Amino acid sequence: MLRLIAIRLAVFVPTLFAASLVLFVAINVVPGSAAKAALGIDATPQAIARFEAQHGLDRPLHVQYFEWLGKALSGDFGKSFQNHVPVGPEVLKRLPVTLELALLAFLIANLIAIPLGALAAFYHQRKMDTGITFLATVLGAIPNFWLATLLILVFSLTLRWLPAGGYAPLIDRPIVNLKQMIMPAVSLGVVSSALLLRIMRTAMIEVLTSDYIRTAFAKGATRGIVIWRHAIRNALIPYLTVGAVEFGFLFGGVVIIEDIFLLPGIGSLVLVGIINRDYPVLLAAALVVTVVVLAANMLVDIVASLLDPRQVHAKAAA
Amino acid sequence: MSAALTPATASVRHHGVNWRRWRLLAIGGTLVGIVIVCALFAEVIAPYSPYDLDVAVMLQGPSAMHWLGTDEIGRDVLSRAILAARISVQVALVAVGVGLVGGTIIGIVAAYFGGWIDLALMRLMELLFSFPAILLAVILLASLGTSILNAMLAIGIIFIPGFSRLARVATNDVLRQHYVDAARTVGMGDGRILLREILPNVVTPLLVEAAVAFAYAVLLESALSFLGLGAQPPEPSWGNMLNTGRGFMAQAPWLGIVPGMAMFLCVLGFNLLGDGLRDAFDPHLRE
Amino acid sequence: MAEARPHRRADRPATLAIDRLRIEIAMQRGVARVVDDVTLEVWPGEVVGVIGESGSGKTMTALSVLGLMPRPARIAAGDIHLQGQVITRLPDAERRKLRGDRVAFIPQDALRALNPVLRVDRQVGEPLNIHRGTPWEKAKQRAVELLGAVHLPHPAERAREYPHQFSGGMQQRAMIAMGLALEPELLIADEPTTALDVTVQAQVLKLLREIRDTHGTAILFITHDLGVIAELCDWVYVMYAGAVLEQGPVERLFGQPAHPYTQMLLRATPTVRTVQAELLSIPGQIPQPFDLPAGCRFADRCPQRFDRCAREPPHIQVESEHTARCWLLEGEPVRLPHESGIDAMRPSTRSG
Repeated sequence: MLRLIAIRLAVFVPTLFAASLVLFVAINVVPGSAAKAALGIDATPQAIARFEAQHGLDRPLHVQYFEWLGKALSGDFGKSFQNHVPVGPEVLKRLPVTLELALLAFLIANLIAIPLGALAAFYHQRKMDTGITFLATVLGAIPNFWLATLLILVFSLTLRWLPAGGYAPLIDRPIVNLKQMIMPAVSLGVVSSALLLRIMRTAMIEVLTSDYIRTAFAKGATRGIVIWRHAIRNALIPYLTVGAVEFGFLFGGVVIIEDIFLLPGIGSLVLVGIINRDYPVLLAAALVVTVVVLAANMLVDIVASLLDPRQVHAKAAA
Repeated sequence: MSAALTPATASVRHHGVNWRRWRLLAIGGTLVGIVIVCALFAEVIAPYSPYDLDVAVMLQGPSAMHWLGTDEIGRDVLSRAILAARISVQVALVAVGVGLVGGTIIGIVAAYFGGWIDLALMRLMELLFSFPAILLAVILLASLGTSILNAMLAIGIIFIPGFSRLARVATNDVLRQHYVDAARTVGMGDGRILLREILPNVVTPLLVEAAVAFAYAVLLESALSFLGLGAQPPEPSWGNMLNTGRGFMAQAPWLGIVPGMAMFLCVLGFNLLGDGLRDAFDPHLRE
Repeated sequence: MAEARPHRRADRPATLAIDRLRIEIAMQRGVARVVDDVTLEVWPGEVVGVIGESGSGKTMTALSVLGLMPRPARIAAGDIHLQGQVITRLPDAERRKLRGDRVAFIPQDALRALNPVLRVDRQVGEPLNIHRGTPWEKAKQRAVELLGAVHLPHPAERAREYPHQFSGGMQQRAMIAMGLALEPELLIADEPTTALDVTVQAQVLKLLREIRDTHGTAILFITHDLGVIAELCDWVYVMYAGAVLEQGPVERLFGQPAHPYTQMLLRATPTVRTVQAELLSIPGQIPQPFDLPAGCRFADRCPQRFDRCAREPPHIQVESEHTARCWLLEGEPVRLPHESGIDAMRPSTRSG
């Protein structure tokens, strides 16, 4: 079992470095862009040169990258171009917000996808299956930021049940916090649940045609026992394995959702970075989001493997 | 005899036409058709000019004069929504084009050369694929600058990994067949014959992927415009319409509902089209 | 030896009585009659073998008893009786109570028939939990006892393991233990030894015999392996294209097969080998279930067909309760000489 986790970690780390490289290259692909962004489009070449010398941007790209990486690993993400405040602490402060949002959205997505997917699979090729699949298609087409807007319209402006934005830390004021988090989490989770529902349905259909399901029926098991004791646990393995990627995308949506609901998380920091053309901030925030995404991916994958006794327990000698 | 549950294809037959198979295609095609017509003939269809402002009639709800109401400076929402289709379609077209061309090249190169080139390219594609799309788009726009053209480019780059996978599989199929048949046949002409046989098999998954990519492109473009990183006012894009509409939700909710609904129907249309194509041409569903 | 069926009892009904069963599947191409007018009995303590090629309808017949036919299949005619009680049109809620309790099923591929994510003791003890409400702790203990009863070595340790950690023979024993959990009246075994190697196969057959001797369980044993039939069964039904072509006591069937199909089966298997491959070499086509001929369904491949075969023959008595559906029996029964007698069939006599 430890081998399992170790292998996944071994792949994770280089992927992380590669991802950081991609981000760094993507941002710096246009020479002079950082300087122009900070100083304005019609900055003079001399101003640009001075700015670049000041920030070490005139050195070769790979040197810059390794220096940035080295500092980042020790927690130093540089200083904002805008206000020269260190980026690291800001990132740390915002991280719990994003994690809470992502976790809640993840929960909601699975609470929708797993039962509905299982139901659709059980009634495969009958009306309920067609209905649920169509629902999944419709849900998957909804832009999550539109859903967010509609939710605000209904629950904040019309019904006045929930606040339209803002953030109170969970530890301090849990009820307010949940009221603030529910709509963002639903916006993110519902749309993602569509794809996850399909994955669960496919996994479940495959499982339900297995011989061991027939054995369960042959023992006199009820439908409920077959689904919940025998089928779901087996279906969860491919579901989590395939769905791991979608969980990653779910977290990427925080960029927009945090903006709409005024949540001070890493996602909105990305936007702050780009709107202010503040490259250190943007890079740092993007990197952290990527780390969260890749880590979530890996964790889900690990859980999937742990659910499978065939991968956990070696085959004993006969 | 296996006692596994037999897949019973209970397709309803209406006068010989298999409705279930073509239903998705029909609905999807209709929606997509509407969007494309709007994009192409916006000036002809729209009742007003999308740029004409008349502050006197601002923030009016849907009425006989303005079917979908007016926005905060008196422009007709319906007309703007219709024109916004053009931006979405344009961006999606270019983006899918870029993704298709780029992805195909990379896929073919990877499959043709094989070995470590294949490995390196495919690892890179996997990595790009694991990034959340919005994030990558935002990063790219940060360096390229925010404009519609750059949005097209950025989204196109995001699509490259997906198409490269398809192209690689298809190329591998061709190559494998080629080697197998080369042992039996003589002459290069057969290569072209094989391509002509392989191509129909490739076109369908390609079209399906393209339809889905179109939907995603529309979604991404709208998201970017929503964030202020894509189409800039006064150009109407569903995304920036929704963004400005957001500010007026209390007094003019239709400003937020309409552009989002348009996005939704467009994305739904392309998704249904993709699903419909897949079902219509899937050999497994043939009875 | 013109006795009645030895296990037949006058004082109680047959454990299983299938009466003129017809099973149809509605498909695009038409209606497939996969089981056609099949009558079959299994008496307490009797081991009945059903032999036939793939597609002969034997598995579907078995599944119909359990109520586990695939969804598009339906019972079009006939009845199924369990200890005299008609169970054919029982609602599924009632049928469910029979499954695992009064009728148990042992499938072919034990590895695939076991749930990979649940421990063996849980799966073997599950029938107790389902039907008797036994709490899991007791059910799992009982499972260990059951695994011991089927001669699984170190049952207490093994029970805590997962199916993939068992060998093929052990998996099949676990399936049998699962089937025996509630001491069913009827055991339906669908080719349980086909996937096993010969030595393990012999052990499983011995186990089944033991069960029959100890509990008086009726066993319906489906197979395409003549050797196993010879080894284990008391009575045999030969199925072809959905119908029973011949049925009788195992010695008579092997010694004096009445139906040309049975004769060809036996001729094709001079040694203890499965019948499948040889059957493919019999010329002609198995009739499709959509398109059953009006006459004898074996006529197309039968070397002895003649003009009367244009009409489907009924079951004609050969001797006592041994019957076969062949017009040749009206008049002199045709006997074909063949090299091997039933003794050569039994694996136990061969291996000594």
